[in-house]
Amino acid sequence: MTAVASSAAEPVTPSLAARARDVLAFEWVKLRSVRSNCVTLLVAAIATIGSTAVVAYTVGHAPTPPPGGAFTALTVSFLGYAEYGVIPVSVLAVLQFTSEYSTGLIRTTFAAVPRRWAVLAGKAAVTGAAALVAGEVLAFACFFLTQAMLSGRHRGVSLAQPGVPGAVLAGGVVLCACALTGLGAGAVIRHTPGAIAATLVAIYGLAGACLVLPAPWKGYAGRFTMPFAASQVVALHRQPGLFSPAVSMVVIAAWPAAALLAAGLAVTRRDA
Amino acid sequence: MIELDGLTKRFGPVAAVDDLSFTVRPGRVTGFLGPNGAGKTTTMRLILGLDIPTSGTALVGGRRYRQLIRPLRQVGSLLDATAVHGARTAHDHLLSVAVSNGIRRSRIPEVLELTGLGSVASKRIREFSLGMKQRLGIAAALLGEPPVLMFDEPVNGLDADGVRWIRRLLRHLAADGRTVLVSSHLMGEMALTADHLIVIGRGRLLADLPTQSLTGSSARADVLVRSPRASELADLLTARGAAVTAEDDGGMAVTGMDAAAIADLAAAHGIAVHELAPRQPSLEQAYLDLTADSADYRAAATAARAEAGP
Repeated sequence: MTAVASSAAEPVTPSLAARARDVLAFEWVKLRSVRSNCVTLLVAAIATIGSTAVVAYTVGHAPTPPPGGAFTALTVSFLGYAEYGVIPVSVLAVLQFTSEYSTGLIRTTFAAVPRRWAVLAGKAAVTGAAALVAGEVLAFACFFLTQAMLSGRHRGVSLAQPGVPGAVLAGGVVLCACALTGLGAGAVIRHTPGAIAATLVAIYGLAGACLVLPAPWKGYAGRFTMPFAASQVVALHRQPGLFSPAVSMVVIAAWPAAALLAAGLAVTRRDA
Repeated sequence: MIELDGLTKRFGPVAAVDDLSFTVRPGRVTGFLGPNGAGKTTTMRLILGLDIPTSGTALVGGRRYRQLIRPLRQVGSLLDATAVHGARTAHDHLLSVAVSNGIRRSRIPEVLELTGLGSVASKRIREFSLGMKQRLGIAAALLGEPPVLMFDEPVNGLDADGVRWIRRLLRHLAADGRTVLVSSHLMGEMALTADHLIVIGRGRLLADLPTQSLTGSSARADVLVRSPRASELADLLTARGAAVTAEDDGGMAVTGMDAAAIADLAAAHGIAVHELAPRQPSLEQAYLDLTADSADYRAAATAARAEAGP
């Protein structure tokens, strides 16, 4: 027994950094080794670019230029992105937990990494990073595509214009925020359909409900939702009735923060 | 070494594991037996820190599982072979498990070979049979070369070759000095594999003893005798103090005299004997006797629930 134990046991306790690397590698291998994850991302990218091209063509050929406010030559870059990019990536994030709960693989995961907050942190880091990269790539692709199509009609904006790079970057961050909201919902709800529904309600449903509210209330309540806040951070000019771009960014960060906090409480306290 | 001390897990009013205390020692295969629903799987989940105990402790190598650093190097386990993501290949599944605990990647081909999965390493797990998934689960458990191993019903889904293979593997792991805990609801299987048995029923400990003493302690050992002059022989036997019970098929069960003495007695009186077979009480029978109460309770409870149901 002692011979076996000493040969298998670690000579020294691995550092916290080494253990963090283990968890990140664990989640990364799991993410990339399921082919449908890559296919989903690819389809999301194609749908986003395609719908963006349609929007850009329509706006470019409209009799009048975009009217301003929430609807400018800059923000039309993100109309396709806001749905065709956000929905599949958020669903993908939901599945990071729910697919493990539905298959039972979560027990392998928790047996490998018994500190469950570390599992949550690892998944959030890997999924969040993947969504951020995808978000930035798509946001810039959508921006350049739209502006290339609009500039031919003398309606485009340039990346060199003040505020534009920040707006496009913020667009990418929104995708990451939506993905992490979905990840948290997946950990709390554990069942795929329920978690997807909850995520879509949090991201779109609440904002949709606010849209039908009478005038002052629409903004009062709406500014706390992801789409209203996102429309503020990707706009060049501050829109009245909403939070400032900085506070809107906080709103965008608060949704995933709340979801991940709830997830942390859920996964550490429940039986797996 | 696995040590349980007063381990209890309640789900509402039901105690799935009820004040369970035992120690699983290294160097031998310990069979963990009980009827379906006795609490074997829950006990293993508690040991692995997957469920949180209501009270009591489960220690592996002197520590709670949740406190272990890189636990797969201390404890290898297989609870549910179907709990895998079908879209991954066997190799990628093992790779994810290996990197999670800083286990060298060269272990992956080693455990694939060991479990006979070398040729299907790059196949998706959804194409695997249950038996292949069991092998994959065992491969994952062996990745970290842990001194403690725990398998829940590992022979499920395996064919005869697979069952023999796992029997040899378990014995080999124990001979290496590892602690091996294997659950089963099949006594016959454990009789061939385990050196030591822990039997539970209704979440409570029923027995913790070497496999041999489960039969040795029983008074059921007898000799089956068949003879064309059975009643004559029976009289001779009872006259010498043996007890004879007639069996349904015409044979006699004789206790209190061994086979050699019976043969000599029959020969001395010129009585032909057609069959003379010493019988050990089956482990199966001993096990059924042990668990009868808890199984009865379960059957009754199920019936009651069914009646009370909608």
